Amino acid sequence: MKDKNEFIKEMENLQVPAADPSAHHQNSVKMAIMNANRSAALGAWLIAVPCYFLLCVFVYYYSHGQSNWFEAMFNVIDNMDNTPWLDILAPIVLFILPIVCIIINVLAITHVQYRQVGEARRYREFSFTIRIRWWNVLLIVLSILIITAFIAFAMTESISISK
Amino acid sequence: MKLNWFTRKGIIYLPVSIFGWLIFAAALAYAVYAFIDIDSRSHSVSDTLISFVFNLLIVGVTYTIVAYFTERKPALRGE
Repeated sequence: MKDKNEFIKEMENLQVPAADPSAHHQNSVKMAIMNANRSAALGAWLIAVPCYFLLCVFVYYYSHGQSNWFEAMFNVIDNMDNTPWLDILAPIVLFILPIVCIIINVLAITHVQYRQVGEARRYREFSFTIRIRWWNVLLIVLSILIITAFIAFAMTESISISK
Repeated sequence: MKLNWFTRKGIIYLPVSIFGWLIFAAALAYAVYAFIDIDSRSHSVSDTLISFVFNLLIVGVTYTIVAYFTERKPALRGE
């Protein structure tokens, strides 16, 4: 009996969490198209090869003082002639995979919604939301840098060949 | 079609079924073959390592792409 009274007293003195029903809450669940963790895991592998290649170029550039950056890039590709199918693999691995990495990570952190709002649905609203997931953002930035480096290399090479 | 061949731990995909282990073994076998092939044609240790790591990463990317599409997905509530 005593325990029961104590229990009732405890229940009466419980702190009830304050819930304000008039407060503004998010009225829709913003689901991304792809899973952020899975995209980050795959994205890390997709840019592993270009990152390794750029690391080789970086080492070559600093170990051969007289060469410039693009010359170092060309020489590293030349040194990798032992790799089978390098001619076919190089554009896919160094250019297309970072683009895929950008696409899957952008799909994992963005949410796009188009709807009609207002009285009698008079206005059209387009909302674009980006979730801040640092791994995904980092992979997107790295992929953009890699693509920029290879585009610059391709342009320099074509200019030097045409001269 | 649900294929539960791999499970993900961080960025590494581990095989959990017989098909997963077969793919893993094939990737490993190709990596060993690539090392022997590159080593027989290269002129120095650094030459071998540079080309082999490049190959190893390509094998890793291919393996991960296969595992990504055949991964065991977490069960949804209510299933």
